[in-house]
Amino acid sequence: MKSGRPLQSGSIYQVRRNGRIHVVAEDYSYKTECYYTLLSRELSGEPVDPDSQTVLDAAVVPLCLDKASRAGMQVADCIISQSCTDHLPAVLYGLNYFSSPSEFSLVRNPGEEREVIRHITNNGKYPFCYQPLGEGDEVVTATAIFGKSIDQGPEVEAAAAGLYAEFRIPLMTMVFIRTSLGYRLSSLAPTRYSSLSVAEKALLSAYITGQEFL
Amino acid sequence: MSRLGIFVDRRTLSSAEQLHALIRCRDAAESLGHSAEFLFPVDIKKIPQMDAVFIRARTDPLNVTYVASRMAESCGIPVIDDPASIRICSDKVNMYSHLLREGIAIPRTLFLSRDEASLSGAEEIFSRLGRPLILKEPSTSFSLRVEKVTDPEQFMKVASRFFRMSDWIVVQEFVESRYDWRVGVLDGELLYVCKYTIPEATFKIQDSVNGHMVFCRVESVPAKDAPAPVVEMGIAAGNAIGNGLYGVDLKTTNGDCCVIEVNDNPSLEGGEDTAYPAVYDRIISHLLGK
Repeated sequence: MKSGRPLQSGSIYQVRRNGRIHVVAEDYSYKTECYYTLLSRELSGEPVDPDSQTVLDAAVVPLCLDKASRAGMQVADCIISQSCTDHLPAVLYGLNYFSSPSEFSLVRNPGEEREVIRHITNNGKYPFCYQPLGEGDEVVTATAIFGKSIDQGPEVEAAAAGLYAEFRIPLMTMVFIRTSLGYRLSSLAPTRYSSLSVAEKALLSAYITGQEFL
Repeated sequence: MSRLGIFVDRRTLSSAEQLHALIRCRDAAESLGHSAEFLFPVDIKKIPQMDAVFIRARTDPLNVTYVASRMAESCGIPVIDDPASIRICSDKVNMYSHLLREGIAIPRTLFLSRDEASLSGAEEIFSRLGRPLILKEPSTSFSLRVEKVTDPEQFMKVASRFFRMSDWIVVQEFVESRYDWRVGVLDGELLYVCKYTIPEATFKIQDSVNGHMVFCRVESVPAKDAPAPVVEMGIAAGNAIGNGLYGVDLKTTNGDCCVIEVNDNPSLEGGEDTAYPAVYDRIISHLLGK
């Protein structure tokens, strides 16, 4: 990719650095072109970041939080349920073949809860998980590019670095629950190039074109 | 006494056959001096208290069974199916890649990406692999998204449908047979052999024909009556995936044998193990030690 050229939607960029191949994509989800790119590299015995196991861990919210928590990061409480929550408000995620961490629902009352649960469980067919919110808590997102975030403050910047060290995903949206005590990870979601700010695009382009070393 | 967690979900309990199989599993654990309890998705936090976990619900890397398996693994608890087996077997691109890497005979196969699919390309694939062809969406189970196509237009129609669920699909030569062998493998050893006789009206072991579900006939075959090449190839195919529990499907044509697929979480409720009364004892002993 040439410097200054916009990041093209759907494109996958492969950058070789320090003997490893870094795969940059908008979506690392299961069975995407990017997922199969990672898998093909692994099966050929090539060192690739991220690896296919890690991108699956990132995509399944309870596993994502377990992995981040084991690495010492602050994460949201996550409860798996089949039918209802025991606390509102809460952030709800589907836990099945069709769900994505980018599709979370912030639920504040029982009416909403019933409707959202019916939707994300496919009428009770699958379980779901939820993260209780305390008073004044809010859901915020930030982008991490090779472990860096821009203008998000030291706490988010530290989280971006920590999450990159653990997951090795070059481009991701970090979903946090911001509480009075700080940020707790809620999930990691895919990131469209078009959603990046000018500064973020410049940073990602710089990495891809080798202008900045990891 | 050890504690065995049998991980199930609502769908596992939806048929009398499955329920009966689960009770046999629990009884086998208890007869070996262990305790066994059923774990539902909401019980997932109990996994660290178990000595082993046996997953008996449909596995997929994006569903709760994978969470259970990964959780057991990260706690150092023996688990069937282990996460790597789920990842590999749930995705036919991954599964066939492992078989090819180990030199296991499979029908001639190629992986087709969304960008590569075209009418002219389909014609070219027919000329290379023959007619008809089998298309598979990689994460299909119970032959749900496996279809036979005979011309490029039909190829593109089915492929387009499968590409809604996956950026890559599997294209395979059609191997005709009236039955599949199923070789059960546990930790590299033969566990059971059975024959799935395919219903007359279809080429799948299970299919919807004129709105009615038709199922294969299951015949448990004693090891001494099973062809040695089938058993040997079944075990080799299991070893190409890992050291867990697998159901390997094979076809024999003109004296040759090939692997159709390797399943993690193989069914045991259809009579597959009738000739092998110790199947659950062996699984439990593998998980919890003899």
